[in-house]
Amino acid sequence: MFTLEVKKLSKVAAFTLFAATFAFAGADKAVDGSMEYKVVNGTYAGVYKVNEKAVDAKGFKYGKKPTENELKATRIAVRYDFEGLPEGKGSVARGDELFEQKCAMCHGDMGSGGKGYPKLTGGDIDTLKNQLVHPENGDEPPERSIGAFWPYASTLWWYIKTAMPFPHPMSLSDDDVYAITAYLLSVDEVQIDGEDLDDDYVLTKEKLMKLHMPNEKGFYPDVNGKDGVANMKKFLSNPKNYGTPTKRCMKDCTTGKVVHIKATLDSGITPLVSVKKDLPKETGEKKEDSKFAKLYEDKCNACHSNDAIAPKVGNKESWAARIKQGTETLYTHALKGFKGMPAKGGHADMSDDDVKGIVDYIISKSK
Amino acid sequence: MKKVDNDKTTARRGFLKNIAASVVAASAVVPAALKAGDDPALIKEPEWGSKLGMPADKNLYGLPSPYEHNVTRRVHKLLSSGDMYASVAMTPIHELSGIITPNGLFFHRSHGGAAIVDPNDYRLVIHGLVENPLVLTLDELKRYPSESRIHFIECPANGSTGWRSPQFNTLQFMKGMMSSAEWTGVKLSTLLKDVGIKPEAKWALAEGSDNSHMGRTLPVEKLLDDAMVVWAQNGEALRPEQGYPVRLLVPGWEGNLNVKWLKSIEFGDKPWHAKEETSKYTMLTPSGKAIRYFWPMEVNSVITSPCPDKPWKDLKKGDLVEIEGLAWSGQGTIKGVDISFDGGKNWVEANLKGLVLPKSWTRFSFMYKWDGKPILLSSRAYDDAGYVQPTIDEEVKAVGVEGIYHRNAIVTWEVKANGEVNNVHIRS
Repeated sequence: MFTLEVKKLSKVAAFTLFAATFAFAGADKAVDGSMEYKVVNGTYAGVYKVNEKAVDAKGFKYGKKPTENELKATRIAVRYDFEGLPEGKGSVARGDELFEQKCAMCHGDMGSGGKGYPKLTGGDIDTLKNQLVHPENGDEPPERSIGAFWPYASTLWWYIKTAMPFPHPMSLSDDDVYAITAYLLSVDEVQIDGEDLDDDYVLTKEKLMKLHMPNEKGFYPDVNGKDGVANMKKFLSNPKNYGTPTKRCMKDCTTGKVVHIKATLDSGITPLVSVKKDLPKETGEKKEDSKFAKLYEDKCNACHSNDAIAPKVGNKESWAARIKQGTETLYTHALKGFKGMPAKGGHADMSDDDVKGIVDYIISKSK
Repeated sequence: MKKVDNDKTTARRGFLKNIAASVVAASAVVPAALKAGDDPALIKEPEWGSKLGMPADKNLYGLPSPYEHNVTRRVHKLLSSGDMYASVAMTPIHELSGIITPNGLFFHRSHGGAAIVDPNDYRLVIHGLVENPLVLTLDELKRYPSESRIHFIECPANGSTGWRSPQFNTLQFMKGMMSSAEWTGVKLSTLLKDVGIKPEAKWALAEGSDNSHMGRTLPVEKLLDDAMVVWAQNGEALRPEQGYPVRLLVPGWEGNLNVKWLKSIEFGDKPWHAKEETSKYTMLTPSGKAIRYFWPMEVNSVITSPCPDKPWKDLKKGDLVEIEGLAWSGQGTIKGVDISFDGGKNWVEANLKGLVLPKSWTRFSFMYKWDGKPILLSSRAYDDAGYVQPTIDEEVKAVGVEGIYHRNAIVTWEVKANGEVNNVHIRS
């Protein structure tokens, strides 16, 4: 078997490799260009004792074979060659609607960003060579976005399906994921087979599989062919590729001028840095661990901890006018949905009483 | 007899009572006896010496002294994607000793919050291009022969705020996106023997079960070399922030590849190109093209004492002091560390101390008599694979400033005459 062959080879080569450890130039490197350590005489890398009978043992009978259904539930990934992509379809127009409802509160209108969460659209492949070294000289940064930077659309489908919307991943149907994918590609003016993705364009599995993203060739090393792993090893074993020297200068080395911090970011650190050894100050604030505080934390905090998305709990300014409308109105908004707020915050399984309890908790923290 | 015994007991009690009274009287009298040059901390009986301490049944899971409350992880809004769920809490490495990070201080980076996984429902699925696909429960997994190894884990974005210029004046935020632990689990080369990887399987996808369903591609070669499936850190179960109950451990490689809340490993003949291998964790270079699958964390070091958080403000001219720091390499074992006092023009060799292990934090030390004059203090590590830590100029020349990840350039402290320490860059 493959693994056994590797083991045998490594045992034969063990002494040579270990000697090479101390004469690194030209030594055999691991797949990442690093030192490759072996078990020699029951000791790994010269330091860790190893029970070779334990690590070489085989014939364990633990566990079971997964059923077809179990494997189907486990396999959620979509590879770059679209292996794993399920059937489905969705239009740009439907994606627009869904994006407005489920995504824009964090990613901004049309994915343009601005709310602290990643900007998705509006990049420019022609800016990828930009280096923002001297902003004062008018240097511009590279503008990365899905259409301008991502090499494969498979990743987009996979990520939306399994990780989005942020507070409710795995809640979108395959058709909805096709629709949102189509919408984001259309905003970034990506074409499929020479065709623009207009509002009534319907994206299907067959069409998505024809898509080559504009920046598909914008990455290296070449990892996709049969020499992919070898290419990686070659790249990583040459430290010149990433600016790592192999010689140490000890005297009269090239140096430079001292650059100080212009504007420190330290003030944004929470809690503020202190190395004092004293007793913590009594804040008088009791840690909330009621049922509704916990429910709030679980179901609502993802959006309500960021004023750009939803009124931040504890921010009296954000809440004053809302609390004025009366508790009954706030109950209704929370239960039925209101503007960006989905009904029950998107948690249809919560009871009305729990939602009301959370509203009471929010009011108590924000008035 | 009985009566005599009772009398004795009573007498002893009385004796003890008298001693207690005299102790109270004595300690009440002592402050008056304080003479010039005496340190009251030594002369006066402290509060904790004259009353009972914590009973054995308090804090059955122990906590640090309340006086250590400032030794915590810390967060920053700018290092988050919109909220504290896709964010990072940094380790206070300026407060650490040795090469092990206490579990409560281990840096926490996740992409959708730390999942709380029910260990009873935990399953690991190994599938794809294998002879015998396998599902294991946690108990079954832990039956395999285990090994323990000390390795650091570092997020490749550690230090990324320094690409253009220095921005933080605290070590915790310059280098705190890394920690180190003794990990216990089973080597994948052991676990996979019975599974039987097919010869055409060159790649594997490791996936987590958390909200972000983190997936990362790894070459089989690395999995069979030194990767492990681990369930313990520093002698206890993994913390939720570290992937409880099970994570992948990929020694020396990008933190993100050490997939937490590990749910499945699928073998295939091609890499997957997950979101964290395309949109993120790729290094855009001045050519306009980006390096992908940049797996290892390169050789690196930083002086932890002094540092901006722990300056030399209490040192006097002529004081002898130990300069101490951490060196690490994901590509080998630290072979040595050089120190410069003049911003990198001339270097001298420091000593390594303690355990020197592969792909591990390593402590270095240099004894120094400070003459009270300003210095530019830098450290430069090198490893047994032959790699040397670059200057800022060398690194930027090769990869530019827009790569975000894998910044390992030499760190320099400006030590001023008053002992203040500042983070500075040395640039041509």
